Amino acid sequence: MSQVEENKQSEDPRRFRNIELSINGQGHTLQVATTWTLNDVLRNVLDLTGTKRACDYGGCGSCTVLLDGLDAYSCVTLAVEAEGKDIQTIEGLSAAPEPHPLQKHFASTYAAQCGWCTPAMIMSAKALLDQNPNPTDDEIRVALSGVLCRCTGYTSVVQAVRDAAVELRGGR
Amino acid sequence: MKDNLSVVGQNFVPVYAAKKSDGTVKFPADVSLPGMLWMKFTRSPHAHARILEVDTSQAEKLFGVVKILTYKDVPRVLFGPYKDELYPLDEEVSFVGDSVAAVAAEDWNIAEEAARAIRVKYEQLPAVFDTEAATKDDSPMSTLHLPDSNADWWKDTRRNNGDEKPTNVMGGTNEKPTWVNQRGNLDEGFSQSELIVERVFHQAHVSGVPHEPRGCVAIYKNDQCTLWCSVQDPFKVQSAVAKVLGLPKESIRIVSTIIGGGFGVKVLGRFAVLAALMARETTRPVKVWFTREEESLDSHNRSALVHYVKAGTKKDGSLTAFKVRTYMDNGFWMFGGLGENIAKSICTRPMDLYRKIPNVLWEVLTVRTNHPSTGPYRGRADAESHFAVETVMDELAHGIGMDPLEFRLKNRIHPGDPLCSVPGKVMSAVGVEEAARQGAETIGWDRRNTIANSNGAARKRGIGMAMVIHSCGSNPSGSSEARVEIDDGGVLSLFSGTPDQGAEQQTTLRQMVAEVLRVPLHTIGGNNADTSNCPFDSGPYSSRTVYCAGIAATRAAEAMKQTLFELAAEKLEAPQDQLVLADGFVTVIGTPSRKVSFAALVAANGGLLKTSYRYNSKDEVLFAYGFAAAFAEVEVDTGTGEVKICRFVSSHDVGRAINPIIVEGQIRGGVSQGLGYAMSEGFRFDPRTGTALNQWFLDLKTPSILDIPDIEPIMVELGEPTHPFGAKGCSEIPYVGVAPAIANAIYNATGARLYELPMSPDRVLRALAAVSGGGH
Repeated sequence: MSQVEENKQSEDPRRFRNIELSINGQGHTLQVATTWTLNDVLRNVLDLTGTKRACDYGGCGSCTVLLDGLDAYSCVTLAVEAEGKDIQTIEGLSAAPEPHPLQKHFASTYAAQCGWCTPAMIMSAKALLDQNPNPTDDEIRVALSGVLCRCTGYTSVVQAVRDAAVELRGGR
Repeated sequence: MKDNLSVVGQNFVPVYAAKKSDGTVKFPADVSLPGMLWMKFTRSPHAHARILEVDTSQAEKLFGVVKILTYKDVPRVLFGPYKDELYPLDEEVSFVGDSVAAVAAEDWNIAEEAARAIRVKYEQLPAVFDTEAATKDDSPMSTLHLPDSNADWWKDTRRNNGDEKPTNVMGGTNEKPTWVNQRGNLDEGFSQSELIVERVFHQAHVSGVPHEPRGCVAIYKNDQCTLWCSVQDPFKVQSAVAKVLGLPKESIRIVSTIIGGGFGVKVLGRFAVLAALMARETTRPVKVWFTREEESLDSHNRSALVHYVKAGTKKDGSLTAFKVRTYMDNGFWMFGGLGENIAKSICTRPMDLYRKIPNVLWEVLTVRTNHPSTGPYRGRADAESHFAVETVMDELAHGIGMDPLEFRLKNRIHPGDPLCSVPGKVMSAVGVEEAARQGAETIGWDRRNTIANSNGAARKRGIGMAMVIHSCGSNPSGSSEARVEIDDGGVLSLFSGTPDQGAEQQTTLRQMVAEVLRVPLHTIGGNNADTSNCPFDSGPYSSRTVYCAGIAATRAAEAMKQTLFELAAEKLEAPQDQLVLADGFVTVIGTPSRKVSFAALVAANGGLLKTSYRYNSKDEVLFAYGFAAAFAEVEVDTGTGEVKICRFVSSHDVGRAINPIIVEGQIRGGVSQGLGYAMSEGFRFDPRTGTALNQWFLDLKTPSILDIPDIEPIMVELGEPTHPFGAKGCSEIPYVGVAPAIANAIYNATGARLYELPMSPDRVLRALAAVSGGGH
């Protein structure tokens, strides 16, 4: 330990920048290293751990959040890139007094098995339903194809989105 | 089986589902603590080497690096999930990706950079990759006998061999297989055969791919250590950490309440032990969280396999002889992966399913190599064996012109048959025929082509099936304890040691407790898989939770009912046989006004009511197995070799479904993983270096939402007599039949046979070319 102290690089080589992030409608002034991803900042700085990570390079979709209403991989988005964008995470949905219909139906259809990809699936489905309130099953599958699930076989996921869409349309 | 059930057998929203859907559930890697450090590993680029020197000087200089551990800095104490065989870090590395050093730093990027800045001098050693070559006397050894090693496992590798000649064969020698299943007289059996089929099968090494990469957060204070750890076996982690830290078990707390997928592969490993050591060394909380590459390789995958099969039948469909020699690529761990145990199940379970085969010789050689470690992964041992068995069954049936379904059923096991997989035990209920017939009806088995390859279209359709056996939790090893409590507010809680890795076992267990004690499900609280307040459980493997922990929870609840009745009999001045339970009260039959609440009985007891039960199946003679039949309908594009799965029916003898929505979800999930194993997954290793070439997520090729159809589950509920509610575990068996059912469907569509997994388009094209004589 003493040797470590003696020869230590005294200056932090990381480059930091001050940025403003808008997350779930709330502004955050943050000092972030330029190498940190949006996923790093959400999880490790702001403790918004509902957004997951499973691969680090856009291969599985577990880290999906909404950027200006579109689903995006937070693990391949640098935090500094997200400045000026409207960032939505699962915590934004959960802040409402009642669970969002997507959350309700993911729970009731057992579409959330281990729960790891669930927030990403829900955010991806939200991006779809915000633009297309009455999707076909094929449209649901295509829209959610950016998120992989290892547990469900996907049938319950499609059903949850379909049921949530019906509820969001007022039962029609 | 019990009648008049109101909670068991009903669909309830799983108890953790809401937290999972709103993102508030805390997985181990979601835990953050003030002052927390991040730990990363330096990993070996060599498949087999001795570490000569580790130069950490450059890494130590980096800003934000707090501590580096090499094999010289860690206790030389052996630990392991099944046998003590691993050091926290070792001077020998045994696969590409093996851990060499651990770095703790102020953030994840710095830790990673420092891990890369550590310079290691290796002496490269001969590495072993080819299982068959590894069993020859001139093969190099995949492991060193380290001069200071006192490991028992090393002594075991040389046992059964007078001259102590080292061998790569686990539990055997170069001449003697790891496990042999033998009955009857093979020569006689083949001499009676009217049709003999001989085939060779190859299966790829695959990862379980739980989506949550292994994570652990450790905190060490006043000789107490707490770990939030994504593992299925928290009690084993507790013992291992205690052993390595030199502390009593009670000083170690492991929390694995909810983990992000397990599938059998998330067991005790170096990451947990090193997190604890690092937390002690730095006196700060430490988080380690695997990358996908680490999760793929520093895990317990399904081994690559080669099967040489020869089987014979009479024309009337009576199987006469079955001979197999299996080479299993165990990877680097000796016993950690239970390679011997898997070998035993590979060569015995299918021969229990087809109990009528009189003459059998099945030898398995489990070979230790320098590939990544393998071990129990969903469908353990049966996914390894049934692709070969069920393909050969199909060929034999077609060869004698018999319906493949009837051929299988003719040779199947019956209740009361002795089991070769569990000597001394006798088969309990068997629902395989009912499952197979219902599945056949649902898929429309009669629609299959009567003669394969009967049409000349570019896209060809066909239907195939497989019949399988797998553990349903009736497990002669391990035990499960459950504790039921009622507090002074009358609130009922269930405590179980088993983690929820996605199968929502707490829901199922609480349903059984709710049924016995007649309370609404949602009123039951409790905790699971936290060693500080939950009783011992071996963990969710072998589909054992519904069965073993289910029996424990039911018996604990029944003991609670007895306790309540004893207290109430006094209070109500009524005999116990005149008492019933309803909604948190004990009442007297016929006079509902004479009642006493649970809370009042707790008060009468002078505080908390507590009952527990530990289940251990060793003493029972009757043994339960899960059975299933899988039916696939495929469309093969003969131009591209692509196989579209049009329908998949997965029909199960589940005993009784405690929560049908969960059982169906487990069936669909198991089939979808099996589809990956069948069609697309599988590591490619560089044959010279042993380096995995496709360990990243997209290259793992797990099925996406666009790859698979709506899987059709069937639950046949005949009741398992050895379980209080008739239930059997069935979250693994759906995986097992998928690959052979699809292979047989491809044959039915095209006349081409596939003998290699995964059945990728190039292999399908080659198989098509083989039947059409080169062109198609």
